[in-house]
Amino acid sequence: MNAVEIKNLSKNFGAKQAVCGLNMTVPMGAVYGFIGENGSGKSTTEKMICGLIPVSGGSIKLYGKDYTDGAVRARIGVLIEAPGCFPGLSVWDNMMLQAGNLSIPDAEKEVVKVLKLVRMEGAAGNKYKNCSLGMKQRVGIAMALLGDPLLLVLDEPLNGLDADGMRIMREVLTDVVKDGTRSVIVSSHLLGELQKVATHYGIIRHGKMIREMTADELDAGCRTYVALRTGEMNKSKMLLGCRYSRVEEDEAGFLRVYDRTTPEEIVTYLYENGICVTEMRTDKIGLEEYYIDLMKEGK
Amino acid sequence: METKRELKFESPSFSKRLKGMLGVDFYRLFHTPMFYIFLVIAAIIPAMVSAMTTMPDANGNKMEPLYSNVWQIIAASEPLYVVNSIADYANMNMVFIFGGIMVSIFIGHDYKSGYVKQLFTTHAKKQDYMMSKSIVCAFAMVCMCITYLIGGTIGGVLAGYSLEVNVGSLILAILGKMIMSFGWASLYTFLNIIFRKYFGVSIASSFFFGTGILIIGIAAIVENLSLPTSFLNLFLYGSSVNACLVSGIPTLLICAAVSAAWAVIYNVLGTRILSKSDVY
Repeated sequence: MNAVEIKNLSKNFGAKQAVCGLNMTVPMGAVYGFIGENGSGKSTTEKMICGLIPVSGGSIKLYGKDYTDGAVRARIGVLIEAPGCFPGLSVWDNMMLQAGNLSIPDAEKEVVKVLKLVRMEGAAGNKYKNCSLGMKQRVGIAMALLGDPLLLVLDEPLNGLDADGMRIMREVLTDVVKDGTRSVIVSSHLLGELQKVATHYGIIRHGKMIREMTADELDAGCRTYVALRTGEMNKSKMLLGCRYSRVEEDEAGFLRVYDRTTPEEIVTYLYENGICVTEMRTDKIGLEEYYIDLMKEGK
Repeated sequence: METKRELKFESPSFSKRLKGMLGVDFYRLFHTPMFYIFLVIAAIIPAMVSAMTTMPDANGNKMEPLYSNVWQIIAASEPLYVVNSIADYANMNMVFIFGGIMVSIFIGHDYKSGYVKQLFTTHAKKQDYMMSKSIVCAFAMVCMCITYLIGGTIGGVLAGYSLEVNVGSLILAILGKMIMSFGWASLYTFLNIIFRKYFGVSIASSFFFGTGILIIGIAAIVENLSLPTSFLNLFLYGSSVNACLVSGIPTLLICAAVSAAWAVIYNVLGTRILSKSDVY
């Protein structure tokens, strides 16, 4: 049984088709990275999974049950865009209200537990409106974790998080799925961060799923690139740019050649042009480059 | 990966869901300054109306008092109908105007803060939301009726009005209006669900229904067309103004029946609208 199984899902807003014939499978125990451009239909799909907007066609099954089933809805934790909190109430009060909506028996204990998980126990008394963006995101994540959810749907949960917040988020997500029954759907534009936790990926474009794969499949599908440093970087960049179609300088000051080639070929070429290579390595492209390539292919 | 645990899905019962949601809505009501402000307004307005109508005019002449009896501030001397002058409705029915505005603000906050998004991603059902809001807002209006009664009585006594009344009828009239609060709260919740994305329009609609301007307007048209207005009296506006100082048990029964009918109709319609449209 899969945590989420979507078949032929569609959603129309008047004449505009936001999602068309989307198929998606999220296995149990997966952290599913849901990727796509702005306006590709990610949030609409997530809202349909969460029951916030009615579907126009197709089916959504959550743990084998229809997504409208109250029993399965009680086990979903959601953070879409920003948490829905009352600004004038404290973090604690907002958490308790959501615990009330979920009919959690030992609400106080549960709220303390999830606030500790996101390191917000010290700020529980703060009014929500006085929290920073990062703190608000943490509250949203804590709220989504209330009631021991089986499925977490997180839309851009990394927005506004600092380095510590992102680390906590990674820990939380890894911890959530470790028993193999719970699953997470997480969409984010921070693909580097997403790659650190995701076990499965789904790439959506113009409302259609264009690729679904596991992290291993992504790894196997990612081609290598050659990174190098020379004594004359500007000249090297110009020369390599004349010969290869994609040459870029990275943040560490390395020149990256993404074309299909070998280190030997590059060294020989530069040597023939009077340039010595001082450092060289080969590496695999990450999710970000893979995604950019895929989008370029589509265009 | 640890061993997979057994999956348990428990469908919360209607009473459990409603209890949870009512707890949340009552908590919010009691922690919202707006609620207390409206309670104070409900007490001050009748006191002010009583005092002002006994004040001398610009020439120093004493004005004709609006009321002759303290309890006319609470309910009309005789049953009113939709074709009566709108000024005749200036009694405890005014609570339904304040109540309407309060409901608009209360539900408006749900949407503005994104709370509904958080709520409807849980097991909460649309009918629970309609029912919970109707109950909590009806409770708020009953509280306003009580503060109105206190304010109106004090104001009337200070203005020197007579206290003579048939106590039984007075109690029945007050109870009738309190019972109608549930019907009114359901109507306002329904209106605010329709205009949930337009806060200003939802407040305006509550105001127009609460004051009866719309209904009296419709009644005038209906009467001009020589059609009966009894339907309007009963289903649209009549029963809460039927609760007057000569009320008997039948009045209370009419109020209960109309209130229940309003609640059912508006809750069903509101639930349907919420189910068929985007929540957020």
